[in-house]
Amino acid sequence: MREFMHYITNAFYGATGWNEDNTYKELNATARELIDFPLPLGLRVNLASLATPHFATSYQLGTVGIVDGSISYLYSSVALRGVTAQSDRIPLPALLRSFRRLHDLGSRGDESAPNAGGPGASESHAVSVDTDGGVGLAPTLVGGNKVTGRDRDKSSLLYGRLYLPQSLLEGLVVKRFSPVLQVQLSAVSEQSLRNGGTLLGLIQYDKGKFGVEGLASTDGGLLGVRGLYNFGGDASSPGATPTACSTNESSSSSSSQSGERERIYGRFSVGGEVYYGTLNKSGGMSLGARFATLPAHRGTPLTAALTINPLMGNINATYAILAKEYCSLATRMEFNVYSYESDWAVGMELWSNRRPAGFLLGVDPNRQREEVAQKLAKTNERSFQAKMEWRLDDPEPTTAAEEAKAHTGQDTPSVTKEEEYLGVLKARLDQNLRIGLLWEGRVKSLIFSLGTGVDLHKLDEPFRSLGLEIQYSS
Amino acid sequence: MAFNFNWSPLTADERFYERARDLLTTALNKSPKPPIIVDDIFVTEFNLGSVPPDLEILEIGDLAEDRFRGIFKMCYSGDAFLTLKTRVQANPLNTYLSAKPSFTSPQPLAAASSLTIPLQITLSEIKLSAFIIIVFSKQKGLTLVFRNDPLESLKVSSTFDSIQFVRDYLQRTIEVKLRDLMMDELPAIIHRLSLQLWCPDQVLKEGDESKEESDPVQNPLGSPPLDAIDASGHLLDPTEISSLSLDGGPGTQSLFSQKSIIQLASLNGSNHTSCLFTRELHNSMLRAWAGPSDRVDASPTPPLATPSLSRPPSYYGSTHTYTFSDLGSQDTGLLSSRPSLVNLSHATAGLSLGSGRHHKAGRKKKTRVVNLRRKTGSEVSSEAGEAVSDSTSVQGPISEPAMPTSLLEVPEEGEMVVLAGSGPSRLPLRLPQDSGDHGKAVETREPILVDSKSQRSRGGPQSDTSSVILEQAWIMKMAGEIARRVYDEKNRNPAFWEDRDDTPPPAYEAR
Repeated sequence: MREFMHYITNAFYGATGWNEDNTYKELNATARELIDFPLPLGLRVNLASLATPHFATSYQLGTVGIVDGSISYLYSSVALRGVTAQSDRIPLPALLRSFRRLHDLGSRGDESAPNAGGPGASESHAVSVDTDGGVGLAPTLVGGNKVTGRDRDKSSLLYGRLYLPQSLLEGLVVKRFSPVLQVQLSAVSEQSLRNGGTLLGLIQYDKGKFGVEGLASTDGGLLGVRGLYNFGGDASSPGATPTACSTNESSSSSSSQSGERERIYGRFSVGGEVYYGTLNKSGGMSLGARFATLPAHRGTPLTAALTINPLMGNINATYAILAKEYCSLATRMEFNVYSYESDWAVGMELWSNRRPAGFLLGVDPNRQREEVAQKLAKTNERSFQAKMEWRLDDPEPTTAAEEAKAHTGQDTPSVTKEEEYLGVLKARLDQNLRIGLLWEGRVKSLIFSLGTGVDLHKLDEPFRSLGLEIQYSS
Repeated sequence: MAFNFNWSPLTADERFYERARDLLTTALNKSPKPPIIVDDIFVTEFNLGSVPPDLEILEIGDLAEDRFRGIFKMCYSGDAFLTLKTRVQANPLNTYLSAKPSFTSPQPLAAASSLTIPLQITLSEIKLSAFIIIVFSKQKGLTLVFRNDPLESLKVSSTFDSIQFVRDYLQRTIEVKLRDLMMDELPAIIHRLSLQLWCPDQVLKEGDESKEESDPVQNPLGSPPLDAIDASGHLLDPTEISSLSLDGGPGTQSLFSQKSIIQLASLNGSNHTSCLFTRELHNSMLRAWAGPSDRVDASPTPPLATPSLSRPPSYYGSTHTYTFSDLGSQDTGLLSSRPSLVNLSHATAGLSLGSGRHHKAGRKKKTRVVNLRRKTGSEVSSEAGEAVSDSTSVQGPISEPAMPTSLLEVPEEGEMVVLAGSGPSRLPLRLPQDSGDHGKAVETREPILVDSKSQRSRGGPQSDTSSVILEQAWIMKMAGEIARRVYDEKNRNPAFWEDRDDTPPPAYEAR
């Protein structure tokens, strides 16, 4: 489960049109999230709220033997109006789905919501939720939510989190200087750290076709550069604008390029990273390449990435595939040419449209689902209206609602299709026969995440960890 | 008289090596390892060799049924060797990231991928040459101290021998570590083992004692705050503290109370982090309040590796010193001239006499300052000291169970030191160097009387003339004067202060 603040940060990126996936760091993010999903440990309760469109708070209380917790606040200079923060309506894929679709490269200049019809539509929705401000349930709100260029270019985000009782303080500042330039400063203060804390500065330059990042850390004086270059697919066809590619995919471009897309249609990315610690005189580097299908691709979406660390002789290959709408699979293989060490892991994600524990109530899951979908559609509309009237004091709530309704009418199938997923089961297995199981879903207005780790080598006490995480947000 | 050392029977026992290997393996894996070591450390081979060390008896100080004290000269150039096996992380970026908070991690994609390399280290051709001081008694176990650095040379061969700088680095590091081990750890280990062998009840007592010491609420002044911070001359890192508390060496345990250290570290750390909790230190006293006693700390701690150290520390030596209190330079003079006092207290605690001696000496002094002030009000036998210390911030006495005997002996010896203005009775002030936390040693202690004629000769007349006044300022002034003179005297004639060591330690006299 993505944390609420992570979700809001993503929403901020979406609202300001920043493509956070266009960096070398996220080259194999899909497979990584499918395989290395974190398992909850102990009991953890999150209470979060997007109190105003600019301000969000989150409180966390957990217990693993000892009770601890954290308080976090977030301020965004951009109003996150279209973000669905209520945990009873928050789109689950935005919080839970691991498989990431590629985004349009040039969407920064003149973006519109990638409302693609066709087979990949719902999926692209799920992703657009991730980055475009969590607009899953009310995608048309992006229009109302869209920030003007000047606002967006100078937008900033402040985030702070205090862990108790460890007294660990995290701070993050994100500042946009231009549509293509963004600076991130993250800092941690804790007394056990050397010098009482560390600071990491990150400057990101994203030109769409390529993205470059430079970073500097106070810890060991680490300096780093990493870059990503895209080609092939939409990146190499200068005539077709990316938005045209995605929006008009079903109509115009399908006629011209349909044959090509039937086969395979994707984007290549290559990149590399170099680090050097000026104080400890050590460094590291790696090179990577990725092929990922674009949302316009009609076949099975897939992502394949290969990274090589020539210094350490490490080769890492990942492959992730969205086999069905409800099923994603990923594998990872690692090999070290110097030490001949190898490693493999597989991960799986299975979405379910059954209500969690619905069978216990003796309800037919299909009928229940329809009811839920209808009810959700209704409540969504109403509560949204109410929200607009009550909180934002929108001068024209009715028109906005009408607009929304008109658009939702068009998008209803995809929305309901998205919402019919009520839970997801994630599983992984690695070389040491360790299994991780995670079941996430929604019960009423609570989003829960139940996970356990199983070690098949120690069958006498196989459960290595057990955890439950509950999140409520408003 | 002859000694018979059996070297080969020790090595002939097959199970001996097995046991020793297991012991070493568990000992090496007990403490948390640095992130660069990714596997357990296994002792694969261990052999003491066939060549025994040469032992030469230099001096036998004491010999009886149940006790022994002597100095040996040991030379070893045998064929013993030791082989360790483990796996290390070769990617520096990986180890760099392992201990860092994930929030500020640069999150490299593949640059931090791990490369583990098996590492085998063989230590061989060990050449030792040392003077060893051995003190043994049935009650106190065996204390073994290296007078000098025993390690002469050592050959370190590893998997990385082909890489020059790695080999040099390993050689250097291991030599340093081994020196520390020999000087600090080994005496402590031997002492522990001997206690287990001969007097298990002492082990129990030591446990109690360390427990007492580690309770900062009952006795927070047993380890003064500032001391712990700059005990090694600089601020203690939290990591250092954790290593202190984790490696569990007996030396560190009884040196500092771990709780205090952690408290102080958090207090210190809260200054430059956002820690909300400023820990309150109960019953603590700022150094500034202690007045002139600051000079004790300001004056450089005397180096204890003076020639007087060559004398084996008298195990049953005295801890009672009769002196003026609160004379900073005098204190240091006493300490520097009588290192056996300092050594003694550590020997009773089963400590090593290793490289940490300087700090121990410094700490002892401060402990004394604090403890005396605290106990002043409660002890009946210290009226005189109370009067003085209350008004002049001069150290008062601590009373101990052995009080009456020592008081009686003082006039007989004629070595009494009188503090001016200490009351009509002119009671001698007793100032135990040992702050009383080694209570088990009290019954065996006999007083050593300090030859402090020079102090008396100066202090006496002056104090007579003004004993009526009892003015705080005057006493302070006089104390400062005496301190200065004593210090001058000492500087002029350092040999005078070391003469004292020529008087034989009156250990076992009372028996």
